[in-house]
Amino acid sequence: MIEVIDVRKEFTLSAKQQKENNTKSKIAVAVDGISFTCTPGRVFSLLGPNGAGKTTTLRMLAGILIPSSGEIRINGVDVVKHPNEARKHLGFLTGSTGLYERLTPNEIIRYFADLYGVEKDQFEQRKENLFNLLDIQDFQNKRIGRLSTGMKQKVSICRTMIHDPEVVIFDEPTSGLDVITAENIIKLIDDCKKQGKTVIFSSHIMSEVDLLCDDLAIIHKGNIVFQGTKKDFRSNMQAENLTSEFIRIINSEKKLEQ
Amino acid sequence: MILTIFKKELKDTLRDRRTIIAMIVIPVLIFPIILGIMTKVSSSFAEQQMEEVFDIAVVTKDPGNSFVAHLTSLPEALGPKKIHFYEDSTGIREEILKDSLQLAFFIPQSFEEEQDNNRQSTIEVILKETNTGSRERAETYIRSIEKNLTENRLNKINLDPKVLEPLSVTYQNLSSDKEMIGKIAGGILPYLFIIFGFIGCLYPAIDLFTGEKERKTLETLLTTPLPRWKILTGKMLVVVLSGVVAATFALIGLFLSLEVFELVDNPKILEVVRSILSIQFIGMLYLLLIPLTIFFAGMMIPVTIYAKSFKEAQSILTPVNFIVILPAMVGFLPGIELNFVTAFIPIVNIVLASKDLVAGNIDPLLMFFSFMTMLVLAFLSVLISYKRFGRETNIIS
Repeated sequence: MIEVIDVRKEFTLSAKQQKENNTKSKIAVAVDGISFTCTPGRVFSLLGPNGAGKTTTLRMLAGILIPSSGEIRINGVDVVKHPNEARKHLGFLTGSTGLYERLTPNEIIRYFADLYGVEKDQFEQRKENLFNLLDIQDFQNKRIGRLSTGMKQKVSICRTMIHDPEVVIFDEPTSGLDVITAENIIKLIDDCKKQGKTVIFSSHIMSEVDLLCDDLAIIHKGNIVFQGTKKDFRSNMQAENLTSEFIRIINSEKKLEQ
Repeated sequence: MILTIFKKELKDTLRDRRTIIAMIVIPVLIFPIILGIMTKVSSSFAEQQMEEVFDIAVVTKDPGNSFVAHLTSLPEALGPKKIHFYEDSTGIREEILKDSLQLAFFIPQSFEEEQDNNRQSTIEVILKETNTGSRERAETYIRSIEKNLTENRLNKINLDPKVLEPLSVTYQNLSSDKEMIGKIAGGILPYLFIIFGFIGCLYPAIDLFTGEKERKTLETLLTTPLPRWKILTGKMLVVVLSGVVAATFALIGLFLSLEVFELVDNPKILEVVRSILSIQFIGMLYLLLIPLTIFFAGMMIPVTIYAKSFKEAQSILTPVNFIVILPAMVGFLPGIELNFVTAFIPIVNIVLASKDLVAGNIDPLLMFFSFMTMLVLAFLSVLISYKRFGRETNIIS
C-alpha cells in the first residue's frame, strides 16, 4: 500500500539555474501538493510528459528525495520519519538502472540481498527461483560489462525482487529498451500484480499503460490533473483513443494556464 | 552493513585496472626504478670519469721544463692522460671545441727562470667546462704540481713544509649517520608517501562516488534500507585503504630494492637505511599516514560527490594534487624544522615529523601535535563529506 497525502517538493535554484530557467524565483516547485493511493494487487500508473514531476514523485516514495511538505506512507510506515524501515518494503527499478560492470550477476544479487538483510536460506531459494524464471543461470558468473542490454535488464529485475518487496516502483522501466527486453518488464509487472504486490509505474507510453494498469493519475507541472480507474478514464474519454485523450488533457491544462 | 559495502567496494576497486596501476604497480616499481637509475648512472658516471684518458696539450717551447716533468710523473690514480707538445697555440682552441683535446696548459717561456727566482708563473688552462670532470681533472693536476713546486722551494731554503701549515685539525662528528641521512634524504620518504597516499586515494574516490553517479547505480543503492552514513563510511574506508596500500607498496618497493635487487651497494648507507626501517619507525609513520589519508579522502569525496562525470572530478582534483605536492616538498628545504608553528600546518607537519623520525630525534610533544592536527582535519573533512553526501542535489544528477 502506498499513501501519498498532499505532498509538495521544492528545489532551491542556484543563480546559474535561475538564469538557465529564465526565472527570478529562487524556488522551483517540482510537485505541488499531490495526493493518491496505490492498493495491493493493483497496478497504478503515473502518467505525464517529460518534466511533469513523475521521477521526483517516485524518488520521494523511495526516500531518495525528502518532500518539502506532506506525508508518504509505504505499508503504513512514514517514509520521512523512518526512511530505512520504509525502504525494506520497497523494490525500485528504472529503465536506466545501472549495474556494477566489474561484478557478476551472482555477486550483485548477493550484495543487494545482504543490504536488504535477506536470510541465507531464503536468499538461496529466491535466487534459484528468479534465476530460473529469468534464465540467468547461463551467465550468472560473467561480469556485467560483458552482458547484453537484455541480460543486464534481467539482472536488474532479479536485483529489484531478491528481497521479495511488497511495494514495487518502476520509473519509466522500458525507456531505452528494445521490444523483447521491454517484454520482460511488462511480464514482471503483471507477475507482481498476480502476487498481490502494490505496483506503481511511471510512463508516457499509452499502450503499456493500457496493457497493465488498473488505476492511473495524470501529472502535469507537478499537479495531478486526472485521477481514477482505467475504466473511469475510458468511459469519460472525449478523444478516440487513450493517447489522444492523454494529449487532449495535457493541452487543455496548458490552455487554462494561458 | 558497513562491512558489506566495504567488501563489495573493495572487490569492485580491485577489479579496476586503473586503480591497480595507481595503487600497486607504480608504487612498487618507483623505488627500484629511481634507485636503479641513480646507482647505475652515478656509478658509471664516476667510473667513466676516472677511467677516461685525457688528451692534454702542453704549449711550450721547452718540453724539458719542470712543469712538464711534474705533470708526466703524476700518478695514474689522478686520471690517465696522454701529453701532446705544441710550440704555439695554433688550432688548439678548435681541437678542444672538437673534443680531440680535453685540456691545454700554456707554460710561459720564462717558467724556469721564475721558479728558480721564487717568483710566480702564470699558467693558462684552456678547457670546455661542459665536459663534466674537465675542470676537476685540471684542478687536481695543478694542485699536485703546485704542491711539489712548493715543497721544492721550501727544501731549497731548508724549511719544513709544516711551517706553512700551522694548524692540524681533526673533526669529530657527533651526529650519527642516521641523523645525517635523515637530514639529507629524510624528506624523500614522506614525500613519496604523501604522493602515493594521494594518488592511491584518487581513482577509488572518483570511481566509488562520481563513477557510481555516472553509471547510474547510486540511485539504486540509495533505495536500499541503509543509512547514508553507512554507505559513505563503507566507501570511504576503501578510499583510505587504497591510499594506505599505495604508500605501503611504495615501502615494499624500497625494501625490494635494498634486499632483493640489491640496488644500494654502499654498505654504510645500507646499514643506516636498514636501521631506519625499523618496525617502530614504520609503526610511527603509519600513525601519521592514516589520518593524512583520511584527510585526503575527506578532501576528495565532496568533490567527487559534486562532480557529474569522471572527467569533471579529475579536472577539479588535478590542481589539488599540486596543493598537496607543494607542502610535501618542504621536506627537501634545509632549515625548516618541526616546531610549535610547523606542527600545526597540515602536510608540512607530516613531512617534517617523518624527517625527524628518520633521523631518530623526534620530539614526542611535537609528534603528538602533528598527529592531533591531522586527526582534527581528518574529522572535519569527513564531516564535510557526510554533509555533502546527505545533500540530495549532489547525489542525484
